[in-house]
Amino acid sequence: MGELTAKGFWYSEWAFPLFVACLASGIFAGTHLYYVYHIGAFNDIAIVAMLEAGIKGGGYGAAAAFGASFLFARILEGPLVGILDIGGSLQTGIGIGVPALMLGAGFTAPLTSFPLALVTGALLGFVIGSIIILIRKYTINAANSTFGADVMMGAGNAAGRYLGPLIVISAIMASIPVGLGATAGAAIFYYYNKPIAGGAIIGAMILGAIFPIPTQ
Amino acid sequence: MVTLMIILKSIVIGALVGFGVGAGAARMFHAPNVQGMGAFRTFGELNACAGDPISHFSFGLGFLFNSWASVVGAGALTQDVDHRVIPNWAAAILLWKNKNVEETLHNPKRMAIAGAAVGVVVVTLLNSTATAIPESMQLVATKVLVPAANWLINPIMPIVFWMAAMDAGKRTGIWGTVLGGMSHLVMGNAVPGIVLGILIGKGLDDSGWNKITKTMLVAVILLFVLSGFFRAFDVALLKSMHVEIPDWLVQLHETFGSAVKK
Repeated sequence: MGELTAKGFWYSEWAFPLFVACLASGIFAGTHLYYVYHIGAFNDIAIVAMLEAGIKGGGYGAAAAFGASFLFARILEGPLVGILDIGGSLQTGIGIGVPALMLGAGFTAPLTSFPLALVTGALLGFVIGSIIILIRKYTINAANSTFGADVMMGAGNAAGRYLGPLIVISAIMASIPVGLGATAGAAIFYYYNKPIAGGAIIGAMILGAIFPIPTQ
Repeated sequence: MVTLMIILKSIVIGALVGFGVGAGAARMFHAPNVQGMGAFRTFGELNACAGDPISHFSFGLGFLFNSWASVVGAGALTQDVDHRVIPNWAAAILLWKNKNVEETLHNPKRMAIAGAAVGVVVVTLLNSTATAIPESMQLVATKVLVPAANWLINPIMPIVFWMAAMDAGKRTGIWGTVLGGMSHLVMGNAVPGIVLGILIGKGLDDSGWNKITKTMLVAVILLFVLSGFFRAFDVALLKSMHVEIPDWLVQLHETFGSAVKK
């Protein structure tokens, strides 16, 4: 990948904690929205339900343990593979695990106050980002090796190609009209040299709006 | 008044989240030389749309309907807002004007700015519209897109990464296979394990056993042991072997807050 272009602030190591701080700040404030208005938590229903169980008085143990363990594993994994998984580390760890720990300890201020939520999230994100850069310094960056970056990039590119056919197959299994729509959309996109995933989705949506998929 | 507060806060949150997601996603294309932030699935899906703005837009739109249904029903935005909607729409906006992915999708500065704009719109829209979306659209998302995306994550991505590891040499193949299998057992997906296998295998090919590769191996072992423990893999393993789970182990799990059933 362009060694010459990959320089400057936006590619630098020390900018990384700032990006994590931004994202973590927003996610933590999202949990504040959920805590106060019951809307806007950046996570899936099943995981938010664990926090909800605590808010309703059922104990924060499950949410705290789940979130903290994800956060820990992802912080260790992130610097090694070069991609910090935001689902496990920030959305579940910072968004669910840390609030559960705080609420479990009776520490509600960071979740009831919007400015405090932003600051708390940003601080936590900055610390996480810094730890990751620190781990990188002693592993990846210290070595005279690219550690198979080309292999991973190749695999990433190859895996993406499968999505189009998968959407068509999935649409066909959902219902006949949606399947026909996805097939036609994929074919049209392929003819015009566009990735077929987009055509398959548009085709499925148009036909799915006219002929809704039956629910058992 | 409450709605206004939600809208104002959502604008701030959306901008912060979108900025971080956009920069992190663009940096993923320069990993592992530059530390990225996102997810392997996001990376694969962004590649799948191959720099075509319409594909990026429609992929994001599909998951937006899904998130919409979830936020209306349960107040949860789903992880897809950060993983799929924001990065794909930010990419779509940038690619609309310039088809060169090097200058758009792979550029952290442009992606961060576009991401922030998309984040403001999407998060505010989702949090402020309590009206239900057409159910037929929501069904297409849940019945078509979700299964397809799940298949991509498991088993397609593990297989593709596995093949790549095996094609990259004997050492990489062995490390990828062993860590991939372990990772699928302990973490639920083989991709992180295979990537770690490629990392260690290639690191050994290039520089042999030195301080750095040894440190990495220790970190990887630590990662597996702790992930296994926190996900109660140890208990599940003993259970499936019909071994009595010792009391001290149950207590150890309890001290970390997770209740383990005997």
